[in-house]
Amino acid sequence: MNQPVNNEFHGAKKYVLDNELASIVNISMKLEMPLLLKGEPGTGKTMLAYAIADTLSMPLITLNVKSSMKLVEALYQYDTLTRLNDSRFGDSKRDVSNIDEYIKMGKIGQAFCAEKRTVLLIDEIDKADTDFQDDMLDVLDQMQFDIIETDKTVKTLHRPVIIITSNAKKDLSDPFLGRCNFHHIAFPDPKMMRKIINVHFENMDEKLVENAIGSFYRLRELDAIEKKPATRELLNWIRALNADPDFKAKDLVREKMPFLGVLFKKSPDYERAKNLTSRRKMF
Amino acid sequence: MFLNFFYTLKEVGIPVSPTSFLILQKALHQGNISSLDEFYTCARAILVKSEKYFDLYDQVFAHHFDGVPLPEDGGFEIDEIARGMLDEWLKNPEQLADALGIDEKELNKMSPDELIEYFKKRLKDQDGRHDGGGKWIGTGGYSPVGHSGHHPGGMRVGGESQNKSAVKVANERRYKDYSTRGPLTQAKMGEALKRLRNLIPAGPRDKINIDETIKETLRNAGEIELIFDRALKDRLKIILAIDNGGWSMDPHIQVVQTLFDYARSQFKEVKTYFFHNTIYDYLWEDPARYKKPKSIMEFSRLDPDTRLIVLGDASMAPYELMAHDGSIHITQRSGRPSIEQLKFLIKTFPHAVWLNPVSESMWGYTHTIMTISQIFPMYELSLDGLEKAVEKLMLKN
Repeated sequence: MNQPVNNEFHGAKKYVLDNELASIVNISMKLEMPLLLKGEPGTGKTMLAYAIADTLSMPLITLNVKSSMKLVEALYQYDTLTRLNDSRFGDSKRDVSNIDEYIKMGKIGQAFCAEKRTVLLIDEIDKADTDFQDDMLDVLDQMQFDIIETDKTVKTLHRPVIIITSNAKKDLSDPFLGRCNFHHIAFPDPKMMRKIINVHFENMDEKLVENAIGSFYRLRELDAIEKKPATRELLNWIRALNADPDFKAKDLVREKMPFLGVLFKKSPDYERAKNLTSRRKMF
Repeated sequence: MFLNFFYTLKEVGIPVSPTSFLILQKALHQGNISSLDEFYTCARAILVKSEKYFDLYDQVFAHHFDGVPLPEDGGFEIDEIARGMLDEWLKNPEQLADALGIDEKELNKMSPDELIEYFKKRLKDQDGRHDGGGKWIGTGGYSPVGHSGHHPGGMRVGGESQNKSAVKVANERRYKDYSTRGPLTQAKMGEALKRLRNLIPAGPRDKINIDETIKETLRNAGEIELIFDRALKDRLKIILAIDNGGWSMDPHIQVVQTLFDYARSQFKEVKTYFFHNTIYDYLWEDPARYKKPKSIMEFSRLDPDTRLIVLGDASMAPYELMAHDGSIHITQRSGRPSIEQLKFLIKTFPHAVWLNPVSESMWGYTHTIMTISQIFPMYELSLDGLEKAVEKLMLKN
């Protein structure tokens, strides 16, 4: 892949980018502000970070937020146990009196200390509690943090590109929102979906893709579906349809849909979809 | 620059902050924004922090840069209803034409915009005489118009938004579904339910307690002694029983459904069952209460620590609750009155609550509500009631 000129982001090999999102990503990078992404599962929030890292050939560092996580874990860890062990047995090469040797950088710490500019993906921020979010934004804002044990300050060498994703399980606090740019990724429309499929599969049967997309959006609109199939499911479905030698593209139009299990992961949903397709067949 | 734009945003109720406005100025100053399209997206990313306000933003943008008049407060609603009508029209032209008392063919000739205008006019005409005028359009009418619809005149509505000017995009109002003025999303409900997260130490002892370890090691004269704590583990199991039958519950189903959507993502295990009015011999796993019955006697095999949450208005004819053959469904008459079954459930699951969408002040007027609230701790389906219910569920014993 070519080195992109003047570090602008135009979408990657396997990621279809609409212009709107592209300009938001670029402006966030220029303003050096974190970008907060919301949207339904399966709209490619996480994939965006991978795509940016890939395109601009920057290393990607991912922080998967967990509900019980404390901010300090994301910054650094002081490995007391190893030190205790070393001081008792003294059989390692580490210098027990030097605390620095027992400090390990967490994900945010790694992004700060990296030699070159990195993409820092903070995934599913909404899982953590509000304090975590606010404290983290403080750190990201100032681009430095203190290691209490050694009384040292870690400063960023290169300000990382920060992408934060949220599944909107709960609202984020106002100060948090104030410090990032925001975008909501809507579910791709059929035309967009077609482009997405085209970058994932080369020389796919046109007819098959068209029919699959049509059926996919119809199935998504079924009432009372608990987990709607998303992009990932559609891609897998097309892969499955394509792999089946007995399958013919025109069959889809007649509502004889194989492999519904690829699209619907919950059994009531599956039953519903199945009933619908078999009912249509009778007419 | 764009001070007016900023203040209009603030006036319509989008929480924009001066800091973010300054950031926008910085972006403009650095020459990062070179076209109106870019300004549209960038200003939105910087100023507006929730998709709830995207729709309002679109309207203000269209107003500011295209002179589209800002709808007055009532305007928002009529707009929405008219869109709903168009939606309905796309699905079933005859019915709507019938309801409006005009010829379908006449409507066929109009373009979508003309149609909307026409609908709006009709709605305004009807004000007063036909107050709840939105009713027959159906509350489902908020979905974006026309992607899969079929216009009788052979015209596609809505759809592709690529490469259009920002003003046009703004005018499309793609984010209407997320607007605060649209159907309620109960973010607060999730907050309240989150308190159900049961953080009592119940996991295996596999987390090392550093302080204790150091202390014990010192006590041991430097010989290392590792002390382990139990890991905190979220182990709450939930059974949700939802009354989804009968018109009396219909208005609450939407609320209930949001509640249970939230519940799903927050617990180790959530099982949902359905019933009609009150519980007899069976609960159903399918919302249609037809295919998958589950005998409540089988519940005695489950973990008694499971939290049982019943959602229902508890309003019915007294005999449905008290009589031996009270069920209105003949197949479910086993001889045990529903009230006995409820008592059995509360004995099986000591941690149980009944959430009632009926306002608490009205409970005294319904006999069955009073009776059931003597068996189940009953709380109103409101944020406050929910909080109390959660407190009750977390009590030990």
